[in-house]
Order: sequence, then structure tokens, then C-alpha cells
Amino acid sequence: KENADPQRTAFLLRKQWTLYSVTPLYRFSNARLRDYARLLSAFIAAEKQKGLAVEVGVELDIKVVVSSLPDLKGSDQDQAAILVQLSSRSPASPKNSEEKLIWSGWFCCVSGDDLSENVPEDFTCLPLFLANGAESYTSIVGSWFQKTFDCCFRRLAISPLNLSWMAAMWTGCKVDKTASVELVFSVPCLPQPLDISYAIHPEDAKALWDTVQKTPGEITQEEVDVFMDCLYSHFHRHFKIYLSATKLVKVSTAIASAHCDGIIKFLQSQYLTGVLMLLTELAISQIQ
Amino acid sequence: MDETVAEYIRRTVLKIPRDQIKTMLQKWGFLSETQLQTLNFHQIKENISQDVVQLCEENSADIKQAAVLDIIYNHIYPNKRVWSVYQMNKTGEETEFFDLTDFKKKFKRRLRSALKNVTINFREYEDNAIWIRIAWGTPYTKPNQYKTSYVVYHSQTPYVFISASVLKSNLPLLCQALVVASSYHDIREMELRSHSLNSLKDIVFKRYSQNFQTYYPRPLQERNVAPESTDLRIIQENRNEKERIQRVNREVFGDGPQPKLEFAQYKLETMFKSDPKMDVLDKKEPFRCLVKFSSPHLLESLKSLAPAGMADAPLSPLLTCIPQKARNYFKIREKKGFLPGSFVSP
Repeated sequence: KENADPQRTAFLLRKQWTLYSVTPLYRFSNARLRDYARLLSAFIAAEKQKGLAVEVGVELDIKVVVSSLPDLKGSDQDQAAILVQLSSRSPASPKNSEEKLIWSGWFCCVSGDDLSENVPEDFTCLPLFLANGAESYTSIVGSWFQKTFDCCFRRLAISPLNLSWMAAMWTGCKVDKTASVELVFSVPCLPQPLDISYAIHPEDAKALWDTVQKTPGEITQEEVDVFMDCLYSHFHRHFKIYLSATKLVKVSTAIASAHCDGIIKFLQSQYLTGVLMLLTELAISQIQ
Repeated sequence: MDETVAEYIRRTVLKIPRDQIKTMLQKWGFLSETQLQTLNFHQIKENISQDVVQLCEENSADIKQAAVLDIIYNHIYPNKRVWSVYQMNKTGEETEFFDLTDFKKKFKRRLRSALKNVTINFREYEDNAIWIRIAWGTPYTKPNQYKTSYVVYHSQTPYVFISASVLKSNLPLLCQALVVASSYHDIREMELRSHSLNSLKDIVFKRYSQNFQTYYPRPLQERNVAPESTDLRIIQENRNEKERIQRVNREVFGDGPQPKLEFAQYKLETMFKSDPKMDVLDKKEPFRCLVKFSSPHLLESLKSLAPAGMADAPLSPLLTCIPQKARNYFKIREKKGFLPGSFVSP
């Protein structure tokens, strides 16, 4: 798989993206992106008129751009990713003044053959949606897409099981930057809630993972379980606390960080497609 | 009245919850009772603070008086700051008579000899606590009243509680001044930090109910037993184990309320050990980890883990030793020698 040009995708890094799964879009066309931008822009203006104003205070002029990111795909069957950007310019400022990017959202499909092979022709598969910016804009953009393409958006939560997979997979990756492998656990149901951050030196975590993973290029559930059990038992040896009884809510490595509420941050362009592939898979299971 | 003083007073008043403003101004004592009567405490805080500034203007308040109001605020709301604990050491056993005036004089002199631009204020409280407020400047600029450090010193003890705030570079100077003024030999920072000043005091002054060793099995206590269900089909499973956990927990944590800490941090440099059958990592070097526990009330939270089934009872001494060792930052290394699985913390 060819990796996306790091220059073109650099703007996706180090931002917090909220994840959604999206059912296939009906009669979506790559050739009509400019039209879509125009229609979405009108829709946003109309919503604001209706009093569903998004920003309190200053009246903003919202400009919509819809573009294609052809590099962000896994296989040839994948649809190219679609990026939607909302910029604002205060009507008080001069025509040529800088526009400020206030919201971004992008649809993508990385190795989503499982889904795209099984849908009728008129449908476009872009099961993963990532949004950055005010929730109110996400809501408006989402509504327009749902109305226009008869699709359905749902927040994509990430289970502790999937977070463990990410922890194991990302620990095994070779990176130049050194950042700990951090697992965050939450125990909310106590009289006083407790949060536990367990950060392992990346070299030591990788050394452990390398002895656990037996088959190169392949990861099994059993290997992930052994890896996590090792970490849990090292912790128990010191503190007598069973981490397996708590809730794993966040995983952070040099590659990316993921939160169980369905929030992701990409930190390395080299592994961007790899992480997207995993997220696409999660989105597809939520849809099916 | 200086504009900066006026602004400072205004901002300080704004921090105070509306229903506490009158009491705090009374404690301050700078405005007369008659003046306080003229204030309308039912208007919005913006207006109250403006009115207070107006009255202070009439009385020509200066920075020293404004600083006293700030001390009073911080004394009532110490938990807005993070406090670190320091311990001073003396060579020799004699407990010298503590002379407050002498202390203040030496402290100011030492600080001012190194840095001319400082505002220093003292205030004493009944529990023998001396509060010191220092606003820091530089050799070329006036003291910044918004960049303050606070020191709480109980003169009968070797402990000092410091909330250094932003200017950590002034810390050595501050420590030096304390040592000189109190006639101690040196000072060291303990690995103990929290927002709750009172809890830190509880820990170092041993004012919490400590755990105790039992050398004989105690009879099972009857209190805290849930009312028996009248339906005989419902029984409590593992009743003995539940009671054992409660008993052990009480022994380890003590009976009374726990001192309030928000976090504990452990830097682990111990070996990774595993079941040899698992055929995993077998390195001769430490498995480096950093573990942080956080909670609005950490010790109570840890105490509830075993009863909730999430931890063994007794909980690890690494956690239960926090109040006795008076620290919440630890570096743990493997103990060399016979006992596997035992740890030392330097």
C-alpha cells in the first residue's frame, strides 16, 4: 500500500478528530463537489436564518469548500477521501482578509472492501467520518449529508477490546520519535472516582511486544491478550490492583492516541493509512 | 491611591464569592464599619468591587494593605493553590526560643539583600501558623503582585508549606531566607504535594488516625452490617471474605477520615517478571514505567478498591504508606537480594 504524501496530509496530524460511522451515500458523485459546496453553504445560511445560529455574537460569513483527497485510500476499490472545510470571515473585515478555518470534516474508506463489495451500484462507501471543530457545525453538516444522500451518521465509540488492539499494534511500530506507551484507566463507580495513568517506556514496551508476537506481519487476539496480561500483572505485582477490572479509556503512543468516546489524534503521517484502516474496520462493524 | 493598587484590590474582591465579601472585608479591618454599611452587597460583583475600590481610595490604601487582603483570601481558600512541603534540619538538639520579630527581620533582610524589588507581608494565626506573602520583581522591575509565593510556617515544627506559583527560579532564594531566619541548618523538599493544605498538615503533623498493627485476631465487628433480608432465600455470598476485607482495610487505612490528596506518582524501575511458561520478556534491565493515580480524594478512593473487588486486601504498601511516609512522589527500584517482589523506594 502506498502511503499518502506526507505533505498533503500534514494538516490532519496533531488535531483531535471525533469519529462517526456513516452508512453508504446514495447517488454521491465525485464530479459534483463544487455543487455540493454551494448547496451546503446555502443550507448553513438557511439554518442560521432560522435562528439555529451556531456562534453566539458575531455574525460570520461561512465559506464551504469540498475537495477530494485521492491519496487517502487503501486499495483501488476504495473511494477517495472527501474533505469538507468551513472557513469564516467577519463581514466587517475587508474582502481580501484572511479566512479562518473553523471546522473540518472528512469521509474516508481505507481497505473497506468488506463493505464496498456488498453494496448496489448507486451507493458510495465512505464509512468513516472524522470531524474537528464545534459540535454545532458537525451537526449541521451531518444533517445536510443525511438529507441529501440518505445516509446515517452515528458516533463511533471504541471499546476497551479495540483500544487494547491499538495499544499492541502501535507499540510494535518503529518510530523515530520517543513517546511513552500510555494506557489510561478509569474507575468511575467508586465513592470517589479514580483515574490511573500507566505509561511504559516505548523501548521496554516494544521489547515486551516483540517477544509476544510470534508471527511477523500478523497479530492474533491471543497475542494482544498476552501482551495486556503481562502489563496488568506487572501492575498488580506492585499495587495489588486488578487493572482488568477497570475500564481502559485511552491509549496513547507515538503513532496516535485514541479515546473510548471515539476521539483520535494522528501523530505520524507514516502510519496514517494504517490507523485509518483499523478505524474503517470499526466503522464498518458498527454499520453492519 | 496608586492605580495598580486600585486594580489589584478590585481583582482580589472579584475573586471572593459574593456572600463572603462582607466577612472578608471585616476581617481585613481596613475599611471602617461605617464605610462597610454603605456597601450594597446585593449588586453584581463588578459593582461591589468598584465600590470597595472607591472606599479604599478614600482611605488611601497602599500595596501593603492590599497584600493583607490577599493573604486573608488565600488563608480562607488555600485549596486554589498547589502546596509543596519542605522540611528544615538543625544540627544539635536544643530547641531555641522562637522570636517572631527576629524571624521577620532576618527573613526580610536576607530576601532584600538579594533582591530589592519584593513585597513581603506577614500574618500570624492562632494555630502558630505564620503566613508569608511574597510578590516578586526583578532587579529592574517593581514587584508583580500577581506573581506571588506563599509560605506557611509553623514555628514549633521544622515544616514549611510553600506555594511557589510561577516563579520557580526564586525558590532557592526563598528557602535560603527561611533557613537563615529560623536558625536552621538546611532545608529539603519532601516528595509531597497537594492542593489541600490542611491534608498536608494532617500528614506531616500526624493528625490523621493512623493504622495500627494487630497481633491477635479481633472479634468480628457487628457494625456496618446490612439489615438481614427477611427472605431466607437471599444469602450473602462470601460473607467471611467481605468482612475480612473490611477488617484488613480498617487496619491498613485506620478508622478515621483520610487526608485529602489528589494524586500519587510512581516512577517504576523494577524488573519485569513473568511466568516462565509464557515465554515472554526476560530482560536483565528494568521495565521502566510511570504510574499516576488521580482522584478528587485519592486515599478514600484507594480504600474503596478492595471492597469493590478491584484490588486485593491488604492493598500494596506502596499505596498505603503514603501518609506515614509523608510523600506522594516515589521512585521504586528492585530490592537486591533474597526477597523477590519486594521494593525499595529511596
